[in-house]
Amino acid sequence: MSQKIKTVKRYGERFQDKLYLPAIYDGVKVTFKHLFDNVTDMNAVDTLEYPEEQPKDISERYRGLHRLTHREDGSEACVACFMCATACPSNCIFIEAEEREDGVDEKRPKSFFIDTLECVFCGYCVEACPCDAIRMDTGIFSLTGNSREDFVMGKEQLLSHKGAFGEENSRART
Amino acid sequence: MSTASVLVAVFSLILGALLALLTIPVLVWLERRIASLIQDRLGPNRTNIFGFRLGGVVQSFADVVKLLLKEEYYPSHIKMGRWLFMLAPVITFSAALLAFMVIPFADTLNIGDEALRIQALPVDFGVLWYLAIGAVGVLGVVYGGWLSHNKYALLGAARAGSMVVSYELPLGLSVLALVVTYNTVDFNAMVQWQSGTFFGFLPAWGILVQPLGGIILIIALFAETNRNPFTVAEGESEIVAGYMTEHTAMKFAMYFMGEYVAMNSASAVIITMLFGGYQLPWVSTEMLLTHFSSFALAVMVVLPVLVGIIIKWMRKNNTVRGSVSTDGGRGFETKVLSSALIIMTLFIEGVFIYLGFFTENILANTLAVALFQIMVFVVKLMLFNIFFIIIRWTVPRFRYDQVQRLGWYYLLPLALLNLLVTAIIVVGVSS
Repeated sequence: MSQKIKTVKRYGERFQDKLYLPAIYDGVKVTFKHLFDNVTDMNAVDTLEYPEEQPKDISERYRGLHRLTHREDGSEACVACFMCATACPSNCIFIEAEEREDGVDEKRPKSFFIDTLECVFCGYCVEACPCDAIRMDTGIFSLTGNSREDFVMGKEQLLSHKGAFGEENSRART
Repeated sequence: MSTASVLVAVFSLILGALLALLTIPVLVWLERRIASLIQDRLGPNRTNIFGFRLGGVVQSFADVVKLLLKEEYYPSHIKMGRWLFMLAPVITFSAALLAFMVIPFADTLNIGDEALRIQALPVDFGVLWYLAIGAVGVLGVVYGGWLSHNKYALLGAARAGSMVVSYELPLGLSVLALVVTYNTVDFNAMVQWQSGTFFGFLPAWGILVQPLGGIILIIALFAETNRNPFTVAEGESEIVAGYMTEHTAMKFAMYFMGEYVAMNSASAVIITMLFGGYQLPWVSTEMLLTHFSSFALAVMVVLPVLVGIIIKWMRKNNTVRGSVSTDGGRGFETKVLSSALIIMTLFIEGVFIYLGFFTENILANTLAVALFQIMVFVVKLMLFNIFFIIIRWTVPRFRYDQVQRLGWYYLLPLALLNLLVTAIIVVGVSS
């Protein structure tokens, strides 16, 4: 039985290859062309000059900072079912529920905290929510603060975030 | 000792120190900018003083401040040879600095009946000085690595030692061939030799007279400066930072700056020995002095064109894209720098009009030619430094046994052959 043997051609045995200098010349030609093109037109260099330039390629599927959505009447859509807190792999959602007295629904969150330092931005809370009350479509990718407390988002703050791609209100029960 | 000789000596010393030390931040900046532009990035361009960013040079000064303010950490496991451990970076740095000091920046000034060298150290055995002092630099590397009591540092030092045995012989032999060709060990005499022509039309530059020896010299000097493709003494992926693993803050900065000073010295030696030094091709110092008015006219035509190109480049490139709301003071900077350049041009034009057409002052003409030659030297130096940098960002590294193979099996026999052929030709021509 004859074995299939593929002989791989070895390069670098010719005199020209061993001389090494022609290869350096070819390499320098490439790098110098890049250098010359970029020096003569610096603004054509395809880099994003953050922070003066902001990214424009944030799509609808981008998981940015969370927000809590509203109902049609402007009140919060969340019913404090704890689904998101249960789904959360990093246990960063802290909800305290209370009874809702205005007749729109039965339950609502008294407080709703997301610790964004713990959050891994996996989006499981968005998947889990039965009321479309929590979303990550704000397009906010940069979060800054001076202390750890600044990164713990409260209910009011989460409700105040605007969706970056339309669809302001909750789509549940409409 | 006349006043003129003292003045020229002090001026040369200051010029040498400035060219060696002030080019360090510029070279670090050039390295980073050129690396990033080759890789289609922008590199450091943000740091500024009152909106003046000068393309980002200010970043290097910020880095120096940062390194000065860093904690001077001293590894506690080093029990013996502390003083040498601290001294090692200084050895490398000062060796590189001293090696630069014998390079002539302009032709010898003939003031009265004195011949004054524009060299920081006015000696006439520059080649020997460079070879001697340049080889000391590696001692700092070896001491630093050895006394770190760290296996990575020791390996780096050992590799640096292996590098020395690889490149020193071809370096010495190629320099010897050049010495035989020029029949001198004085850098300035070498430059004067190169101001003639060769075959009637080629400039008699070393690289054309001695092509093989020149290439071997360039390769050996790349190895001596420890730069790519010969960075064997350090290697992030294999031996961390090599010999400087245990060195922190200013101790590290000394090694780091020493590398750039060494690169600067190597460029200076290459252009002095192979590329006509401070002289333009086909134009010798005597020619400039005898035809001073045409030389003045040529400068007066070329200078505004160059300044115009620089200003045009600045107006196009010292801006931000239309999508960016603020230009961060770039427009103001362009205006100020353009006016400064135009005022400088007008001043130089005025000086040359006066010197070239309204007076016959030999001394002033000599000084003007010397300053012009210094400018030519600096431009050539920077171009060769840029060549060093482009090579670094083009070529992958050699393994250190490959460096030894290259040095011993290829460069050494070639350098010997080159020396033999040169000697035969020189003897044949002179007899």
